[in-house]
Parts: sequence; structure tokens; C-alpha cells
Amino acid sequence: MTEIATPAETSLTSRPWWTYFLRNRAAAASGVFVVVAIFLALVGPWLYQELTSPEQRQGRDGIYQDYQAINMGPSAEHWLGTDYLGRDTLARLFMAVRISLLVAFVVEALNVGLGGGLGLLAGYFGGWADMLISRLADMLFAFPGLLLAILVSAVFGPTARELYGGTGRLLLVASSLSLVSWPLMARLVRSETLSLKSREFVLASRGLGASHARLILQHILPNVAWLITVAATLDVASVIVNEATLSLLGLGIEEPASSLGLMIFRAAGLIERYPLQVFIPAAAITSLVLAFSFLGDGLRDALDPRSRQAS
Amino acid sequence: MGRIISKRAVTLVFVLFSVTFLTFVVSHLAPGDPIRNMMGGRQDPARYAFLRHLYGFDQPWFQQYLTYLAHLLRGDLGYSFKYPQRPVWDLIATGVPVSSELGGLALTLSVVVGLPAGVLASLWQNTWRDTAIMGLMLALYSIPSFVIIPVLWVADLALYKAGLPSLPVAGWGRPEQLILPVLVLAAANAGFIARLMRNSMLEVMRQDFIRTARAKGLPQRLVILRHVLRNALLPLLTVLGPATAFLVTGAFVVENLFAIPGVGYLTVQSIGQRDYPVIQATTILLALAVVIMNLITDLVYPLVDPRVRAE
Repeated sequence: MTEIATPAETSLTSRPWWTYFLRNRAAAASGVFVVVAIFLALVGPWLYQELTSPEQRQGRDGIYQDYQAINMGPSAEHWLGTDYLGRDTLARLFMAVRISLLVAFVVEALNVGLGGGLGLLAGYFGGWADMLISRLADMLFAFPGLLLAILVSAVFGPTARELYGGTGRLLLVASSLSLVSWPLMARLVRSETLSLKSREFVLASRGLGASHARLILQHILPNVAWLITVAATLDVASVIVNEATLSLLGLGIEEPASSLGLMIFRAAGLIERYPLQVFIPAAAITSLVLAFSFLGDGLRDALDPRSRQAS
Repeated sequence: MGRIISKRAVTLVFVLFSVTFLTFVVSHLAPGDPIRNMMGGRQDPARYAFLRHLYGFDQPWFQQYLTYLAHLLRGDLGYSFKYPQRPVWDLIATGVPVSSELGGLALTLSVVVGLPAGVLASLWQNTWRDTAIMGLMLALYSIPSFVIIPVLWVADLALYKAGLPSLPVAGWGRPEQLILPVLVLAAANAGFIARLMRNSMLEVMRQDFIRTARAKGLPQRLVILRHVLRNALLPLLTVLGPATAFLVTGAFVVENLFAIPGVGYLTVQSIGQRDYPVIQATTILLALAVVIMNLITDLVYPLVDPRVRAE
């Protein structure tokens, strides 16, 4: 994003990566925002309930429907008002952000494990392993955008709900979204591994008799770790939007659980009278998406050895 | 040239195989006996056998796939589950022109907005104008459509309340009903195209032949028009495929929120009715749209760029 000026006297390795990262104000601020969002998603619901009297605590759990207080504006009792069923909007927002980040976390775990792992194997071993993995990734790439995730969650949605309820739906959303994510990760890691495996330090280690496992884990993995981190962070932004899209289409998270897409969809019909109910989740998702994008860009600029050399 | 075309043909066949095969397998894995569900309470063995044969479920699955493929090549998409013996094509035929019109207009608008935005930003590189344009384009690119839609709705409502001319917020059929959905659908692509155009312009401006053109005393305006722009426009062709992919996912959200009876809307309806043959058919159709756009790019590129022809 921003140009990094390196004074002549400082060598490449003399400064740790985070000094580059912190110079990028947008990225640093986004990093703080993401940490705060994760913190709020974890303790927000509890804290919000603790801040009121025990009798009113239930009104802030995000599930309890208070029919005496439907579509209320912000008040001391409900900081961001209530929705069309009289549920506390802030509590539901916390739940939705928690779901968003949880889905993103599961998808990225699968993405790093599957995409990163298969990319390493394909790049390192080449041959039929590469052939198999690359063709599999190409098959998944053949589907534009969310189409495959829509198909998979549509077909297995009812079963997931019957078998495991809300958790089943969440896991289904995460696994169908990881089908969209991992091929790109595998492709990136594969090409990086391919160029690393013929570098001198790897050849030297191989010449000394290092095993495949040692070469991959000790020499190649540390050198692709930055790429995996950056790609996963940037992917979080699209996963958050994709999860909201699936939930909005009725294919993802379902009531009584909360999702940013679901909140927007439910409130969209009431937008004439209660625009705030749409704008709160809309603002939340926009800021989360922008924060993860800036964070990813900042990490890339700070971690990519090539971008540092170039400056 | 011949080699490029044969290579592309192999890729094309692979992509078509991947999309049809994976779509078929995923839909096939849907739990439950569709024929039994279709027949409901009346279980008549003869009719059961007849329907099973009609839908091809009496054959092994790979045989079913080959039959499906053979039918597909003839333009036969099979029969609906929800409306027994009704061809899938009948159900989605009305949606295809609707989605094509919406997508075509959105693609045109995104080029009309994105192209000049990117060109102007590159000419004003690193000034506040550049920052403003690219900031706006980044926002268009990264803010999800379901966030832009409510904002437009509220703005439209304000116009209506002020007694000013306003636009219909839903429906299909009248020209003015097109405006809002096309705007939303074009937003992400406009941002994408602007960024690509800016990079492409800057890339060409660095080339030697541009310096030569300047050195021979050609006025700046002519350098830009005759040399930079003409070369910078080439990569725009490659946008066709990815832009269509964006439109496919976008169409699901936009058609559903604006109640437009296109392919995306019909797909989501069929998901609710567990009508898997329809979901299967629309998935393949939408993926095919992207394949065709990529094919057009591949075929047209050598015609406009002699360098690709020479390879």
C-alpha cells in the first residue's frame, strides 16, 4: 500500500518485520480493530449482561423476545435498540460477529491445513502428487465465485440441520466456504515451494542427507509461512462476506442464531421505519471486511521478502 | 496459434467436465429418495417404477452421469422434482433473459464507470484526485452488495418523501426498475476494472516506446490517446471472465433482495423446495456463462494483440 523508504545503512535483516508493519498506519489501526473485535466477540455478550441488573439480564441475551419492546430505538436498557421480535440488537450483533469470526477461523484452519499442506506436497514432490492435487484444485476453480458453496450448502443444509442443529449448519457453511478458499492457497503455496526447493540452502541440506520431512518442515515451511499468513488474512475478508451472503440467502446460519447477513436480511423489509436495524450490521460487516483487507495488505508489505527488497 | 487454440480447447473440456461432474455428484449425494418424496402419500409401485425409470434412478450413478451429459449436449436439462415430469428448462427459461439483461447492463455500466476512473487516476497519479478516485473505487469493490442496497433504498426513500422523482425499489418489467439493481451489480466490477486500468496505464507509461513518443515531440494528449491508452486497454479483455464470475454471485443477492425473477432468484426458490435438478441446471448454466466469457477472451485476444499471435 504505502511506499517504504529504507535508509541505505540499514540492512534487510536488521529490523524486525513489525517495524515495517507499524509504519503502515491503516494496517496498524486495522490490526487494533481486529483485536478489539475478537475481544468483544469473546467477552462482549457476558460483559453487556453484567452491566445491567440481574432482573434485566435476560433481556440482553439476544434470544429473549420481549414483545412489549419491539423495534425500539437505542435506550439505556437496550444500547442499540431491539429488533422485530423484541430481541436486543447489540447482543445479537455480538453473537453475529462471534459467528462471523468463528466461521472465518474454521475456514482458515481448513484453508491453511488443506490448501497449505497440499500446496507444499504438490510443490515439493511434483510428479503424480502434483498432478493430482493441481487438477483437483483446478476442478474446484472451475466454479465461479460462491457457486460451489451455494450448491453444497443447498444440498446438505437440511441434513446438517437435522443431524447437528445450529452447529451442523455452522460447520457446513465453514466447510463449503473452504472449498472456495483452499484451491487458491494451494496454488500460491505450490508455486512458492517449487521455487524454494531448488534454492541453494535446500539443496545443501539435502546433500547432507536431510529427510523429506525435515526439508519440508525445517527449510521450506518457515519460508512459505509468511505467504500462508498473508493469504489467510486476506481470505478472511472474503469469508466474512461469503458467510453473510449464504446466511442472507437462507443457506447459512439460521435463527435463533445470529449472523450479520441474517440481521441485514431480516431488517431489510423494515428499512423504511427502522433504518438503524440495517445500518448497524451493515456498518459492522463493512468495517470488519475493510480491517481484514488493510491488515492483509500491511502484513504482505511487511512480510514479503520481495516487497522489502524492492523498496 | 494452433497450439494455443488446442491447449485452450483441452482446458475448456476439462472445465466443462469438472463443473458438470462435481455438480452431478454433489446433487446426487442429496439424502433421501426423491421419487418417494415426489409421490407423497400415494405409494403406487407401478408409478414408482415408472418415475424411477423416467428420472434414470434405476441405473448405476456413472451411467446416470453419462446420460445426463448426453442430454445436456442436446439442451435437455432433465425433469424437476417439485413438479414431476415438468422439464427443468421450462422452469428456468424465463429467468435466463432476465439475468442476462441485468448482467449485461451491469457489465456495460461497470466498464463505462471503471475505465475512465482508472485512466484519470493514472494520469493524476499520486495526487489527491488519484487518492479520491481510487479510494472510492476500493470502497465500491470491497463493500458487499447487501450493504450498498439498503443505503440506496434509504436514499431513494428520502427522495420520495421530499416529493422528488424516485425509483421503484423492487420488481421487474419496467425500465426504471432496472436502475437500482444494475447500479448495485455494477459497483464491485467498476472498482475492479478501475484498479486494473490504473495499473495497466502506469505499466505502459513506463515503457520505452512511450519515452520515444514523447522524445519525438508528440503532444501529451496524443501520446496518451495513441500509444498509452491503446496498449493499456488490452488487459481489459481478460476482465470479462472474472467480472462475469462476480456477476454470478452478485445476481443471487441482488435478484433476491430486489425480487427480480432471474436465474439466481429461481435457484434460491428451488433450494427451498429441494428441487435438486433445477439447482444442478442453474449451477451448470451460470458456470457455463463464465466459461463462455473466458472463451471469448481467448479468441479475441490474439486478434487485437499481435504479440500473443506471434507466440
